[in-house]
Amino acid sequence: MTTLALTINGRAYGPTEIRDDLSMNDFLREVLGLTGTKFGCGAAQCLACAVIVDREDGTSYTNPTCIVAAANFNGKTIRTVEGHAQNGELTALQKGFIEHFSFQCGYCTPGFLNESQVLLERLAKTKVARADLEKTIAEALDGHLCRCTGYVKYHQAVRDVVLADPDRYLA
Amino acid sequence: MRSGWRPFVLVLLSALASGATVAVAAFAASGTATNSLAPVESFASIADPAKRSAAYFTELGKVLTNPRCTNCHPAGDRPRQGDDAHLHQPPVFRGVDGMGLPSMRCSTCHQAANFDPGRVPGHTVWHLAPIEMAWEGKTVSQICAQIKDPARNGGRSLDDLIDHIGKDTLVGWAWAPGVGRTPAPGTQAEAGALVEAWVKSGAACP
Ligand code: FES
Ligand code: FES
Repeated sequence: MTTLALTINGRAYGPTEIRDDLSMNDFLREVLGLTGTKFGCGAAQCLACAVIVDREDGTSYTNPTCIVAAANFNGKTIRTVEGHAQNGELTALQKGFIEHFSFQCGYCTPGFLNESQVLLERLAKTKVARADLEKTIAEALDGHLCRCTGYVKYHQAVRDVVLADPDRYLA
Repeated sequence: MRSGWRPFVLVLLSALASGATVAVAAFAASGTATNSLAPVESFASIADPAKRSAAYFTELGKVLTNPRCTNCHPAGDRPRQGDDAHLHQPPVFRGVDGMGLPSMRCSTCHQAANFDPGRVPGHTVWHLAPIEMAWEGKTVSQICAQIKDPARNGGRSLDDLIDHIGKDTLVGWAWAPGVGRTPAPGTQAEAGALVEAWVKSGAACP
């Protein structure tokens, strides 16, 4: 057994005792009931299970949860798909995904949403030239698998959010 | 499986390469099983220091050509995994610092320790060996020449190699690789002792 305390979507959880072999995905879904984070391949292949990890320096990255022990998230601050909308108001990204019909079954969506959110926050800090935008989005979303709608509509949604606020994201 | 017969084939090839090597190689091949290492003392009967030194390295070659080592000393920009040394899935790449691309760092999945339920090995500094230290596909003789060359061994002296192979904890992972992976032959201490004996006997190559 090991002790786990972390912050999820701005709320402190723990300290709580967990099994050493409990995966982060099982902790979120089975222990906390946060089932927005999905379990797809279970092998770090699809990134449906990816959550956002916020570093102390203000930067963030995504991390799969299926093959990583919950104990490795001790002391960390993370965000899951449940943490994006505030007071029932969807983010520009979430609205973009809906407007573009980016998802069908939605299984991959939490991963794409988290990855795209990290990208937007990165671009807000380090702007990118319009000419490099397509490549930047493609590279950011690379690795996330979708078996329903393909990838174009996710890409278009992210692009539209960026182009709707060029002063914020574009150099 | 490949990990089992590969060292034997290498020993056999080196035996065919020169008559002088035959006695040495035969010793190593018959002296120990492929999953263990011959103790340093067992080489005492080889009187010629150069031949004895080369024999130490041939024995060490069982470790250096083992998938636990070559998978992360790949010849290309992608690591391999498993006892069958298949290309790493998901498809990850070396990156400028050997720790992955910016969007997919090694530490994204490889945490501080093995996580057996997810079958993911771990260490605090999990990363690929630099490309100049690639061992994949090389013979024990080629690796020997390479490992002595500071330009291709991470700038290490021969003495540094004793500690690197005998004590470095990332190297040591090869003997505690977690479920589903066959450990490197012998123990890390035995491998370190072979390196030390090899260095002190002149660091001759097979
Ligand atoms: S479920 Fe974690 S990467 Fe697919
Ligand atoms: S919407 Fe079904 S997998 Fe992406």
